[in-house]
Amino acid sequence: MIEVENISKKFKLSRKQRRELGESYSGGKFIQSVSDVSFNCKPGRIFTLLGPNGAGKTTTLRMLGTILVQDSGKIKVAGFDTLAQPDKVRSKIGFLTGTTGLYSRLTPEEMVRYYAKLYGITGKKYTDKRDSIFDILGINKFKDRRIGKLSSGMKQKVSIARTLIHDPEVVIFDEPTVGLDVITSRNIIKLIRDCRDEGKTVIFSTHIMGEVNMLSDDLAIMNKGKIVFSGNFLDFKNGMQSATIEDEFVRIAGGGE
Amino acid sequence: MKNIITIFLKEMKDILRDRRTLVLMIIMPLVLFPLIINISSKFMMKLETTAATRVLKVGVILNGNDSRLKDTVISRDDLELTEVTNEELVTEMINGNNLDFCITLDKKFDNNVANLEPGEIRLYFKSSAKNDISKRRINGILEEYKNKLLDERFTKLELNTSVINTININEKDIVSVKEKFGEKIGGFIPYLFVIFCFIGAMYPAIDLGAGEKERGTIETLLVSPATRFQIVIGKFIVVTLSGIISAMLTFAGLFASVKMNSDIPSKILDLIMKVIDINSIIFIFSLIIPISVFFAGILLSFSFFANSFKEAQSIMTPLNFLVIIPAFIGTLPGMKLTTLTAFIPILNVSLASKEIISGTIDNGLLAIVYISMFLLAAASLFICIKWFSREEVIFRGS
Repeated sequence: MIEVENISKKFKLSRKQRRELGESYSGGKFIQSVSDVSFNCKPGRIFTLLGPNGAGKTTTLRMLGTILVQDSGKIKVAGFDTLAQPDKVRSKIGFLTGTTGLYSRLTPEEMVRYYAKLYGITGKKYTDKRDSIFDILGINKFKDRRIGKLSSGMKQKVSIARTLIHDPEVVIFDEPTVGLDVITSRNIIKLIRDCRDEGKTVIFSTHIMGEVNMLSDDLAIMNKGKIVFSGNFLDFKNGMQSATIEDEFVRIAGGGE
Repeated sequence: MKNIITIFLKEMKDILRDRRTLVLMIIMPLVLFPLIINISSKFMMKLETTAATRVLKVGVILNGNDSRLKDTVISRDDLELTEVTNEELVTEMINGNNLDFCITLDKKFDNNVANLEPGEIRLYFKSSAKNDISKRRINGILEEYKNKLLDERFTKLELNTSVINTININEKDIVSVKEKFGEKIGGFIPYLFVIFCFIGAMYPAIDLGAGEKERGTIETLLVSPATRFQIVIGKFIVVTLSGIISAMLTFAGLFASVKMNSDIPSKILDLIMKVIDINSIIFIFSLIIPISVFFAGILLSFSFFANSFKEAQSIMTPLNFLVIIPAFIGTLPGMKLTTLTAFIPILNVSLASKEIISGTIDNGLLAIVYISMFLLAAASLFICIKWFSREEVIFRGS
């Protein structure tokens, strides 16, 4: 379960960033990345955060993951407050992004074991969980090879294993298919569905409409740091005033401008 | 604590698999450096032997004086004599390698000597490292000739040679061998281990900070149950240890290269072993710890700030000079550990190590060095932890 109540986050801009924004930018030294955002994600459902680049999706997800601290508002993940109990929150979540990197000099087994240890999973509990995940993902064939020598598909499988080794209650996917080939993307899509079917709370961000249609149970559309739509995905589809999801998204997001 | 150990062990394994780190942290101080010392000392020895034994081509211009110089002194097997007729050709002959030296007697040489006045000799040569050794041989020969003429004068004047000795200075140098050794080469040892300590810590620091950002692994690490403090401490220990290992290996490499160098006479070798005793080594190693912690804090802070390996390298390269300069100043003769220098980081360790080797260390000043270095080390660790907790540092530019 994720409960987000009126969170806001602004960042201080560097001189270079201010220059890039141009003279027309009126925000001064700061940029409001997320503004008064609220939503709930329920277990056994996939919550999709849809928005264009720079909408504030990654910042929101990073706040859920306690990597960033909100300026105001409240976030509860799996019943724990992100500000009061960040350690508890982190032990309950799995986090996967499209740009997630791996340690190229370690083997998949060493990498997964490292994270398992950080999550306090050792001994038989670890080997059982590892064997099960490695079997499902087909990692056993290359588990002792250095990650730097693996293909991008193999690497993504290792990332998935790393994300799920501690059996998290909440799984956060931040644009997980960015830059991946079709087959690897499909594996990720399948993984997201599997997580939902196992009763986990799943939140994923994307700007790809096909993925929204395939996966969403609940949907929030973000633009310029604000939620411009939040609700059940079926309701969203039924209430569409445009012919396609993409057109409807553009309409709600105000033409993307 | 468990997380710190987990992070430390993982990072240690990771950096020990990095070839670049291995080269800079282990291979360079332990193998390459002693190899360079051995090869260069062998080369120098060969150069000296050649210069001391080779047959020198010596020109002589007698200018009408009798040939006693030629006959009695210069006629030796290790010299090849050529009688030169024109003094104007000498420079050309030396430049053309036809001569190494040319001894020219002044026209009035014999006359002056006979009248008990100094006879003038002009010695032509082209100075170089190689030729300077040969020049010492020629100077020795001329000195021998000078003494011969002096003896003849004393005989002629019926004087005892002792009349020229008005004072007998009997020098009693009370400096110990340890002090002399410390003063002459004691500064060189800390110069090397301070620099290698920094270089050895630099690549692991870049890899563990900026490298983590560049690979995109920082997010997953931050979202794990390990706190930022635990992450920094785990990484910090690895970087500190890398600096310590590198400095110790430099010491070991230096020790091994001296011990294995067959060109060093056993007498000198015994002396070196006696001077660098176990107490000195323990004291020096105890100084390596705070300086490594200090370096680790600074390097990791910059590394966390940088977004990529390349950026971290460009930030840290100028830092090399900030380390080399005080370390080098410590090697200068006359530089002493004082109340002021004991507070200057790097220079204080360099000077303290030098004086530990010399056996002249003042315990009060050593205490200041320890206190100032431990305070600096603690400050650098504190800054590093604070730095890593700042969102704008970790997610700078994203």
